[in-house]
Amino acid sequence: MKCDFCNNNEATIYLIKIQGKMVERINICDECTKKFSFLSYKNFYDDLAEILYKFFDTGGKTISNRVKKIWGNLNYRRNLKCSNCGIDLKTIKKTGLVGCSNCYREFRDVLLPLIKNVQGSLENKGKIPVNTSSKIRVEKSIRSLKNKLQNEIIIENFEEAAKIRDKIKKLEKDINGHGK
Amino acid sequence: MGMVSKKFHLLEDNTSGDEFVNKNKIILNTRVNLARNFNGKKFVSKSSKQEKNALLEKVKEQACAIREFKDFKFYKIADLKRLQRDLLFRDYMLNTKIAGKIQGKGLFIRDGLPGNGSSAVIINNEDHINIQSVYPGLNIDKAYNEVTIIEKHFEKGFNFAFDKDLGYLTASPFNLGTALRVAVIAHLPVLALSSGINNLLKRTSKIGCQVGGYLVEQYEIIGNLFEIFNQFTLGKDEKDILEEVNAICLNIAEEERDAREQLKKKDLLGIKDNVYRSFGLLKYAKILSYEEALELLSILRLGIDLDIIDKANDFNFFRLVDKISNPRIIVDMETGRKIDNDYIDSIRADMIRKKIMKEVG
Repeated sequence: MKCDFCNNNEATIYLIKIQGKMVERINICDECTKKFSFLSYKNFYDDLAEILYKFFDTGGKTISNRVKKIWGNLNYRRNLKCSNCGIDLKTIKKTGLVGCSNCYREFRDVLLPLIKNVQGSLENKGKIPVNTSSKIRVEKSIRSLKNKLQNEIIIENFEEAAKIRDKIKKLEKDINGHGK
Repeated sequence: MGMVSKKFHLLEDNTSGDEFVNKNKIILNTRVNLARNFNGKKFVSKSSKQEKNALLEKVKEQACAIREFKDFKFYKIADLKRLQRDLLFRDYMLNTKIAGKIQGKGLFIRDGLPGNGSSAVIINNEDHINIQSVYPGLNIDKAYNEVTIIEKHFEKGFNFAFDKDLGYLTASPFNLGTALRVAVIAHLPVLALSSGINNLLKRTSKIGCQVGGYLVEQYEIIGNLFEIFNQFTLGKDEKDILEEVNAICLNIAEEERDAREQLKKKDLLGIKDNVYRSFGLLKYAKILSYEEALELLSILRLGIDLDIIDKANDFNFFRLVDKISNPRIIVDMETGRKIDNDYIDSIRADMIRKKIMKEVG
């Protein structure tokens, strides 16, 4: 079996991807493994991108948009820097720390899944600072009222539920009236 | 150099009643920590030396203007000697191992709160400020109240970095949301020795709490001391987090108590033997390493709790954990010369002999 990377030497290492019933395999020879971090010092993230790309390699045919996006995320996004503090995604992933508040905004699509994984939730239920805008305070009240509403419905306390629903409606009207 | 050590000595002598009930104390210590960052400023890891020092000055200025803060003592970490920094490391979770990271870090400490609590504001550690309060025993409410009072003072002068979905923004995604961490230290000699700990670990993780060793050396937990803390900070209300940790602590304490009762019934001779052997070593050894001392003291503490032995003075185990640590001994000796480990270990053995073993005859 020839190596998938150099197409020259015999492969000695096999990477196998199993997805449901589909099984795919990548073959690597000794020479080419020297390029990869599990046997050398190069950044594993670099190699991962390259290896995974092989799985999506359609051998010259047009690569689907989805694959392009994955490839883009893996390879390109790492070098993106936060416009406020200048930290790059690579450093964030290495140290586990972001550089400023803006990082959470700018790298939202990468960080949110991570946060969901780590915290189990993406919804703040705790208290909010005193100097927050009243809009956010009202939104928080609406959120907690909605939770209460669910509970009242579950325990079939419909009268109470109706009262809460009215409160929510009123608050939502208030926000939309002043929101702009 | 003497300043930090004297302050802690004061804490020793100035204690009142409640704090000195040591018997059967399973929950030894409560720590509540709140992390906050200021709006419009880069977080600590991306701030330059100048930016960090500027923030330190600003916080110090703000704090000094607040009446209640006059009881706080201020320390600029860069001005402290290495030993003093080592002392503060564990208590305040300061990241001072790397010399370059000392710049811009500061610490406000206040001891002697009613109930023997203490509180601190740590500046530029991982986040701009960390507000922390520590109380002996299980005192989550007291510690949390203390921390929120201090937070309110800062809120007057600063805007905190906040997102309506992610809550208070912290450098680490692990602390987002309430940015509240409650950590309780428990002494669980019987659960640890009987491997009842494993079941405990499974159960606590279901409620979103973690249990880990408080002191760990080469993957071994020392002194049967465990730390129980909340795993999540986002997606829960502060009140829920406090209640959950409190409930799990009460539960764990009860388990340990039950396990102790069982042990007394099933193998009194065995536990007596362990206790007296520990006592013997503590009484006669001339050299005691930190780890060995804590292991022995844990068993002795258990022996006193179970009324198995009365030849030793009652002692505050958690207090000793600090008092017999290497940095504390070295600072208390107040000598400039380099000391080798054997000498420190012999001082430790002496200390323990004097403090704990009752005078014979």
